[in-house]
Amino acid sequence: MDYEPYGNGMNDEDAGPRVTIRRSNRTTIDFVLSNTSLALANSLRRTMLAEIPTLAVDLVEIHANTSVLADEFLAHRLGLIPLSARDIDKLLYGRDCTCDDFCDNCACFLRLNAVNRNSDENMKIFARDLTLETRDGRPVEPWPAGHNAGMDGEQELPTRGQPIIMDEGQKGPLICQLRKGQELRVRCIAKKGIAKEHSKWAPTAAIGFEYDPHNKLRHTQLWYEANAKEEWPLTANADWEEPPQEGQRFEYEAEPDSFYINLEGTGVMPPDSVMHNGIRTLQEKLANVIKGLSDEGDAGVPNGMGGGSPMDGVMNGGGTAYGNQTAYGGGMSAYGGGVGGQSAYGGNMGAFSSYGGAATPYGGYRG
Amino acid sequence: MAYEPVFGALTIHAKGGKAPVGSWSNASRYSCSLDPRINGNVGTKIDVLADLPPDRYELFLLEDGEKKVEFEPETRVPHAAMFTFNKEDHTLGNLLRAKLVKSEHVVFAGYQVPHPLFAVFKLRVQTDGEVSPKEAVVQACQELVKELQILDQEFTKEWELKKIAGGGGDL
Repeated sequence: MDYEPYGNGMNDEDAGPRVTIRRSNRTTIDFVLSNTSLALANSLRRTMLAEIPTLAVDLVEIHANTSVLADEFLAHRLGLIPLSARDIDKLLYGRDCTCDDFCDNCACFLRLNAVNRNSDENMKIFARDLTLETRDGRPVEPWPAGHNAGMDGEQELPTRGQPIIMDEGQKGPLICQLRKGQELRVRCIAKKGIAKEHSKWAPTAAIGFEYDPHNKLRHTQLWYEANAKEEWPLTANADWEEPPQEGQRFEYEAEPDSFYINLEGTGVMPPDSVMHNGIRTLQEKLANVIKGLSDEGDAGVPNGMGGGSPMDGVMNGGGTAYGNQTAYGGGMSAYGGGVGGQSAYGGNMGAFSSYGGAATPYGGYRG
Repeated sequence: MAYEPVFGALTIHAKGGKAPVGSWSNASRYSCSLDPRINGNVGTKIDVLADLPPDRYELFLLEDGEKKVEFEPETRVPHAAMFTFNKEDHTLGNLLRAKLVKSEHVVFAGYQVPHPLFAVFKLRVQTDGEVSPKEAVVQACQELVKELQILDQEFTKEWELKKIAGGGGDL
């Protein structure tokens, strides 16, 4: 099989998406994604919103609760507290673990013991009052200084499971208030999950997504009373694109190319990790499809290849399509394993077998 | 001591006869059969848990024996096939569709979510015969993985540059 791969310029030297980071801080990145399709940008957005694994309190053991809040109310509040998702890849999903209910391989444990013994003022309980412990109740030691196991940028995160505290007073979210004599003794069991199951697992607070600020493509129809131009002020992103000329013809075949993305994280992982994890999750989804289609019996599939198995075509096609992508070969060595990861996808279909359920499918990805 | 399942708690396949975590112990399995409004079912066991909203993990976890992709060749049209993707949604559907329609060998590509309550989408692909629909889909997936890999590297490059230049950020 020597059919041409898709004629969308993937073989060009400068092909592939481009990124321009405009602003960033501890939780947020504002960037322009260009030279890619709307579908890819949107799929990436959806993946980052809903399918990145993080950590959140999933079960709450109430040992004593004499506060004014009902048990389930309290449990819900505890579930929404952002917890550090550092090294989340090393934590198993509860359903994949061999333990009976939960253990240190698939859960983090947070203890909250608080009593207001003799203060007439309400005692406020914050997320900082949660203490991390192991399953059998031993306190968890923080990572040693200079610990370097996580992804780039993750090094600033506290130990996995620790509540994320970002306010000035270093208190974290308010959980509850205790009047004199009221008591709270609680053990929280935090598990790995994704926001598709419950939004408490979302690593993102919001993702701003805009394209075509001048509405040149007419993907939207602007409602107006007298004059759409006067009534719809341009967004800041409009400065990044040529305004339409007066009397310019409508290009009905034009496609969106630049996407203005404002990625705002919750703090459970740095925003660049959200991006990397989003890309990786989407790649894993695609890899699962490739695996699913390759696993299927070859019998009866008219592949038009004169008797060869479909896999031959895949391998050859993959090889020729990606073989010449040397642009990223040498120059990108600073980013280590990424190139290795490419070759795994390119020609070598054997690499996909590692997707079977391996915890770290991207062999060289993390360096 | 009582377990309080957080809303949307994960149901673990409990071992040793325990009620699954996340189910409610006060939910009687017979209550429906006592309801006179249910005709013809009196005396039969009705699973009241079936009336509860489905567990959210059903959106993304394949059931036992369920395949990620089901492939069905189209008999009436040459070089056409229908793929059924289980536990997937528009994220993958639109992405694959958009990639496939750009291929010169693909004559038709479209996707559909038959019902919004079921995490399934169907992708129909017709090619010109040079490649089989299955190959076209696999190829599209590979190219997307590739494209995402380039994006990842581009992003890392930009991020490192930004870190060197700005020493943190200025949002």
